[in-house]
Amino acid sequence: MPDIRTLLILIPALPLAASLTTALLGPRLLRTRSHLPAVAAIALSFLASVLLVFQVQRAIDQPAAPAAEHRAGQGRAAQPIGFERVYTLWSWAQVDQAMPWPDQNAADTYQPASWGNFRIDIALRVDPLTAAMLVIVTCISTLVAVYSIGYMHDDPGYWRFFSYISLFVFSMTMLVASSNFVLLYVFWELVGLCSYLLIGFWFEKPAAAAAGKKAFLVNRIGDFGFALGVFLLWTTYGTLDFHDTWIHFHHTWIQTSIGVLGQTRLAHPEMFASGGLATAIALLLMLGACGKSAQFPLHVWLPDAMEGPTPVSALIHAATMVTAGVYMVARCMPLFAASQTALVVVGTLGGITALLGAITAITQTDLKRILAYSTISHLGYMFVGLSVGTLAGVVAGMFHLMTHAFFKSLLFLGAGSVMHAMGGVIDTRQFGGLRRRMPITHWTFLIGCLAMAGVFPFAGFWSKDAILLALHQRASLGGGAAVYQGLYLSVMLGVVLLAVYTFRAFFLTFYGPERIPPEAGHHAHESPITMTGPLMLLACGAFGLGAYFEWTHGFEHFLAATPSLAYLGQRAAEPAGEAGAHWGVAVLSTVMVVIGLAIAAVLYLGSREQARRLARLMNVFGLYSLSYGKFFFDEIYQALIIAPLVGLARLCAWFDQWLIDGLVDAGGALPKWLGGGFRPAQNGLVQFYALAMVLGLLVLMGALVF
Amino acid sequence: MPYEVALLNNYLLVGAALFGIGLVGFVSRRNLIVMFLSAEMMLQGVSLSLVAWGRFHNDFGGQLLVLFIIAVAACEAAVALAMITMLFRRSGKLDAAHWQTLREANQPRFHEEPLPEEFGDQPLPWPRLTPAGIQPDVPREKIDYRPKV
Amino acid sequence: MNDLPIIPILATLLGGLAFWLMLPRGTARGRGVGALAMAMALGLAGSQMPRVGDWLDNSVFFILAAVTIVSAVAAVTFRNPVYCAIWFGQMLLGTAGLFLFTGAQFLAVATTVVYAGAILVTFLFVLMLAQPEGKAAYDRVSWEAMLAAATGVVVVAALSMIIGRTFAPEGALYPWLGMPTSQQLAANVLTPAHVARLGGELFGRYLIAIEVAGVLLLVALVGAAVIIGREKR
Repeated sequence: MPDIRTLLILIPALPLAASLTTALLGPRLLRTRSHLPAVAAIALSFLASVLLVFQVQRAIDQPAAPAAEHRAGQGRAAQPIGFERVYTLWSWAQVDQAMPWPDQNAADTYQPASWGNFRIDIALRVDPLTAAMLVIVTCISTLVAVYSIGYMHDDPGYWRFFSYISLFVFSMTMLVASSNFVLLYVFWELVGLCSYLLIGFWFEKPAAAAAGKKAFLVNRIGDFGFALGVFLLWTTYGTLDFHDTWIHFHHTWIQTSIGVLGQTRLAHPEMFASGGLATAIALLLMLGACGKSAQFPLHVWLPDAMEGPTPVSALIHAATMVTAGVYMVARCMPLFAASQTALVVVGTLGGITALLGAITAITQTDLKRILAYSTISHLGYMFVGLSVGTLAGVVAGMFHLMTHAFFKSLLFLGAGSVMHAMGGVIDTRQFGGLRRRMPITHWTFLIGCLAMAGVFPFAGFWSKDAILLALHQRASLGGGAAVYQGLYLSVMLGVVLLAVYTFRAFFLTFYGPERIPPEAGHHAHESPITMTGPLMLLACGAFGLGAYFEWTHGFEHFLAATPSLAYLGQRAAEPAGEAGAHWGVAVLSTVMVVIGLAIAAVLYLGSREQARRLARLMNVFGLYSLSYGKFFFDEIYQALIIAPLVGLARLCAWFDQWLIDGLVDAGGALPKWLGGGFRPAQNGLVQFYALAMVLGLLVLMGALVF
Repeated sequence: MPYEVALLNNYLLVGAALFGIGLVGFVSRRNLIVMFLSAEMMLQGVSLSLVAWGRFHNDFGGQLLVLFIIAVAACEAAVALAMITMLFRRSGKLDAAHWQTLREANQPRFHEEPLPEEFGDQPLPWPRLTPAGIQPDVPREKIDYRPKV
Repeated sequence: MNDLPIIPILATLLGGLAFWLMLPRGTARGRGVGALAMAMALGLAGSQMPRVGDWLDNSVFFILAAVTIVSAVAAVTFRNPVYCAIWFGQMLLGTAGLFLFTGAQFLAVATTVVYAGAILVTFLFVLMLAQPEGKAAYDRVSWEAMLAAATGVVVVAALSMIIGRTFAPEGALYPWLGMPTSQQLAANVLTPAHVARLGGELFGRYLIAIEVAGVLLLVALVGAAVIIGREKR
């Protein structure tokens, strides 16, 4: 069995190699076989991730590596908590003494040897959080890549697609494996680039190009905040590494740097920044997470991103890339936990986003857009779970991330299957009653819907339940209890809406009279095995994964061995899980789901007259329009931000064109005018030039004679 | 005036005259080849002076320099004639003024004055003879035009 | 200045006027007058030039000089470029004669063979190729004939003036500094082994220069072939 280091390098390296291979050989050599390197590499990557998880589990079970034990006696490090390994491959950049040691430093009370040495190491880390993310990412990527073989089969950009997908898997695995904020930022941008490339995959289509641009620009705002957060971390902590650095010198271990999230700092919580500084850092990082994970107010790009191919929507804009923000917040949880204000803000944003997404999703007619808003809503749930700030909350958020990855990619791929059969039509008003024509898609979609709505015993039930439970427990403690109580209630309400829109989409697509749009042609049949196979595998995950982990507590125990999360567990004594409360929450949420399901069934299963009547009724208060118009965020941003900026740009353009250019032109006009005087000399007659030479000769002779 | 000095003086004067005549030819003539001939003529004037000075200084340098001038003139003639041929292929003329299209933009053209009628340029009439045999089928303008040379 | 050189000035001006008359101006009027005036100008100029040696030497020199100058004027003023080229050839022969007169035997032969024999024939080839008729307007009309003639007058006048000053009794060369004696000349420039000495100099002192000249000839040959060989599109 290969060791952890080899596996950790292989996981990103294989997709990178595949991406380069496909990019180089795709257009000429591979053509319709372009999926081979990508699928093979991603599948091997998945295999390596699974092996890595087993290795990590084994290492957790047999703790205390000798070196770490030896180190424990030195410096300020205590017995290491949790499990982590960091492998520094090489140093990308190093500037010694980039920043002086501040006299009054809030965070550190003594200066480690390398404080202020700016260095970017290509350092890969593995801890349970990373391992879990790696498995989720590579698993979904493998299935989506296989699915894409069928879905993209006659696209002219076939090789390009697989090259991008491999590049994305490389970036995403590096993102979750990097142990340095600069590296994290680099791959954060790189997944953003892949997202841009894949949203605009059909770049000839103006809408797709515009959507890609929008995603990139909106993410820019978030990334700006993220970058500022990284700068602030640097000035506060004097390093950007997550981990501590030790060197072996004369038989002793010397600690040269105290990582932002290193063991030393975790063992001494007073070394974390506190107060306004901590809030500022956390909120800036949250701004980055908002952009990447499509949280209010930066959520507007995600629905537009559905212009990309459906596998891309499933992989990048539902299962993996948009969860990078969740991962980042979970990774930096000690930084967030240092500021209660930041946690409350995270929770509030998450709660607003969850409700906003759910309400918008109810009235949308585009199947993929419904799923996009549901993704936004679910990402909101994850942030709500993280905002609890306890081990249980983070685990709940990550648990939801995992189950969501499965059922949402399942639903997206199912939608893609429908779209494939309908000849590219995805508007639910144009098709319906497809359950007979597409039985496999129908059944897998049903499982996905049940999982998403959180019906017992499907995966979504357990993860949603974990979030609700964490909120409930947090609400019973002091310090912002009211906020968490409110979040708890809004999530409960959201569960109803969730069930309604999920099953609305399901009934609209698969029930009612059979309607097939003319674009479908002879395509209106079940999709090929490369597409239905992944669907069925994902359905298995969406069905059983939650229950499995819930019964075995495997996920929770695994994640709890992450140092920064183990620290949380040590820090705050978890309130004793009351069995009664657990049951109460579960029953209440199930009741809510049933109510939502019933509403959807009544409104959409039979005649849809009642749905229309309800819509009219709601529109008395403008509620329907509000939801259908997506709360008019795009219009508001257009009016408040884009229009003034465009005006400013016009002004600048005018200034440039008339004032700056005018000055430059004036500068150019003078020599031109002067030269115009000599211009007749160049009249193109050789004799004239000869005459001019003779004149010069005469001048010379005159000088000689006189 | 001693013999050597008189010789030098006269040679220099003849060389100056050749130089001047060539100059006038170069400046006034428009036929590219005649212009080139004029330039060569100027070169000959210089050569004469060089040889004369060489003799006056009792040195072979002047003659050798003229030898090199001949070599360079041969190169020059080869390249220039090649270029003239190219120009002729392009324009169908040996007219230097034709290439004033290479002048600076927006500059007026050199206007060619209308050619005054010249006695000698009238086409010569063909002698009228009694027809002998079948009349050859010759175009009218060929019949009308008869070159002087 | 009382001793203004009246006759040389008159000769130069007359020569300029004659040149203007003789240049092709689109009309044949005045060409005869021009030729007459040119003859007068040349005569006047010749009368002002010092004698060279005894009468035989003197006559030979003046005949050669007259042939050269007259041929040169004719080469420039004739309208038909073929005639121009032939007159130019005669001018070259006159020059070769002058070279011979001054003792440059090899140059005389080289000029005759290379210039009159090779280069001029090439000119004639091109002329024949390009212009079989010789009646083009651009041959019959000069460009600014008067200006050109005036320029020539000024240049020749300036040159003659410099030459005259140099050889005048108060001139730079007086009293003939560095003038070689006939013994020195016979030992060097006028040596009987003229070609041997010239060749020795050429392949001794000027070896590199002659090599460079050879390369230049080769390059010009290749260049001309490339230019002319390009297909007309």
